[in-house]
Amino acid sequence: MGVLRDGDAHHGNYPMNAHRSFAARADIETILAGLGAARIDVPVLQPADPFLDMAGEELRRRIFVTQSETGEALCLRPEFTIPVCMAHLSAQSGPARHGYVGTVFRQRRAGASEFLQAGIEDIGAADTLDADARSVADAATMIGRLGVPEGAVETVLGDQTVFDAVLAALGLPAGWRLALAHAFGSDAALAATLDRLSRPAPMPEMPAAIADPARAGDRAALEAAIAGEMRAASLPEAGGRAATDIAGRLLAKVEAAQHLPDPARLDALRSFLAISAPLAAAPDALAQWQSDAGVDISDAVAALAARTDALAARGRDPQATTYRASFGRRLDYYTGLVFEMRSTGGDVLAGGGRYDRLLPLLGAEAPTPGVGFSVWLDRVARAAGGVS
Amino acid sequence: MSIATLAVPSKGRLRETALERLAQAGWNVVPPADARSYRATVRGRDDVEVAFLSASEIARELGAGRIDAGITGEDLVREGLADSEDRLDCAARLGFGHADVVVAVPEAWFDVETMADLGEVAAGFRARHGRRLRIATKYWRLTQRHFSQEHGIQLYRIIESLGATEGAPAAGQADIIVDITSTGSTLRANRLKILSDGVILRSEACLFTAKQGVPPQIAAIAARLSANGQKKAAPSR
Repeated sequence: MGVLRDGDAHHGNYPMNAHRSFAARADIETILAGLGAARIDVPVLQPADPFLDMAGEELRRRIFVTQSETGEALCLRPEFTIPVCMAHLSAQSGPARHGYVGTVFRQRRAGASEFLQAGIEDIGAADTLDADARSVADAATMIGRLGVPEGAVETVLGDQTVFDAVLAALGLPAGWRLALAHAFGSDAALAATLDRLSRPAPMPEMPAAIADPARAGDRAALEAAIAGEMRAASLPEAGGRAATDIAGRLLAKVEAAQHLPDPARLDALRSFLAISAPLAAAPDALAQWQSDAGVDISDAVAALAARTDALAARGRDPQATTYRASFGRRLDYYTGLVFEMRSTGGDVLAGGGRYDRLLPLLGAEAPTPGVGFSVWLDRVARAAGGVS
Repeated sequence: MSIATLAVPSKGRLRETALERLAQAGWNVVPPADARSYRATVRGRDDVEVAFLSASEIARELGAGRIDAGITGEDLVREGLADSEDRLDCAARLGFGHADVVVAVPEAWFDVETMADLGEVAAGFRARHGRRLRIATKYWRLTQRHFSQEHGIQLYRIIESLGATEGAPAAGQADIIVDITSTGSTLRANRLKILSDGVILRSEACLFTAKQGVPPQIAAIAARLSANGQKKAAPSR
């Protein structure tokens, strides 16, 4: 997930490192055991497809890919979350907290391409809010035991569930929600998407046979006309986009072109995304936003407040953690909590989050929640004062 | 003066037209005495050697710095060489071999007109169809740059296509394609349409050189080719 939950742009070159000795690794194993995690080992050489399927083709430039004799694409593991989840699934055991330490490999133009990571993936825990809190607390504990003083670490936390609730409560058109959800996690992409949505949408260009039923809102006739076009082009009837998918989006676009965008709702969304507050104050800030916007996201706010309490119960000071409404990850398997711990120098020391969609995508038959974090040990060594 | 090496495509219309343009610019390439040879000279000049290479090999040789200049399609250089913009100069656009690298989707996708539309479709694709949107192409690098870096679309898979890419959607191998087209007739015959912002590259044959240390005789021919290329290109575009 580092692929993933990491801030790849920041890492420098680490030729030597305090954590690369066997003794240091033994220390990390002791820390993992102390946090109650069961040690797991996953192969360095992994099938490439799961990573590319989950993170997208863009990842291909950043991983080391090779081929087996039979043509299967393999890669050096770029992160631990996906291999650990796959190992969990093939072991067919119950809920478990898996701890790991090892090297991950990233292809970059300059600098090192091997990084040491340790982390815990908590798979299958039913009490998701407590598991979230535990993951944040464990990440903080590990960084602390490795010698980085608490005051030198900044924790930022976001919540995909709150963002989804805001989109739903604002009653935005389905196409907009999809576009915004896809952009969530990148401030630049969100700004560009908001900008595009705030301009009047053009009427799509359509031949008469399509335009007539589309403008009349006659869905059955529209689907029939589209299906006819697809047959004429010999497009397969199953396995890809069907006439009903195309008709649905087209009708939404025709409708959008007939209505001016509602600036108030987009402004409300902008003011939500601007919220940044100490976690302890976040529920109040969100409650204030909800009353200003005249919408109801109280369930999501209550869950955030409950998780904040769980964090406090696990010894984390919610005053010392920042909630940022726009903080997320552009990966569609992250579903709730996301967090990051940074050094005062700006290095991402740890990244984590909840990925309830990942295990089903990897083949879990029953819904299987998961949450976890990875610590970048090389950066932690630097933040702790360098080589010792 | 040391001898500069200029690479020219080894076969087809690219070779013929490149040799014509060089002749118009004052360099008459003397065919090798041995028909199997891939080396030739320029009449009256002992400071140039011509190497006949495959059009895609020219990009690689330029990248490795083994030749001083090469005439080839811009698409092959941009696709074949990482950071080609930083490493090579397009010293002359030659006004022939025009072809666009484009993103094309089935005409029946009436709801998809722009890359932004495609981004929305790609984002919801796995939830609806249980797999990522598939793109058939032989242009991996150009596709990734256009989708990921310029349009922020990450959620797709590339299906490597080594020929007849335009048939991939009908064959069920891919949903859309990224391919090269000069007149668009092949795309139309396959009922595919180009997205309004789906032109990734307007390619033509170019003379490429390294960024620095260009031999003077190469700089001189580049200037003449460039002037002639603009004249030729003017009426058609």
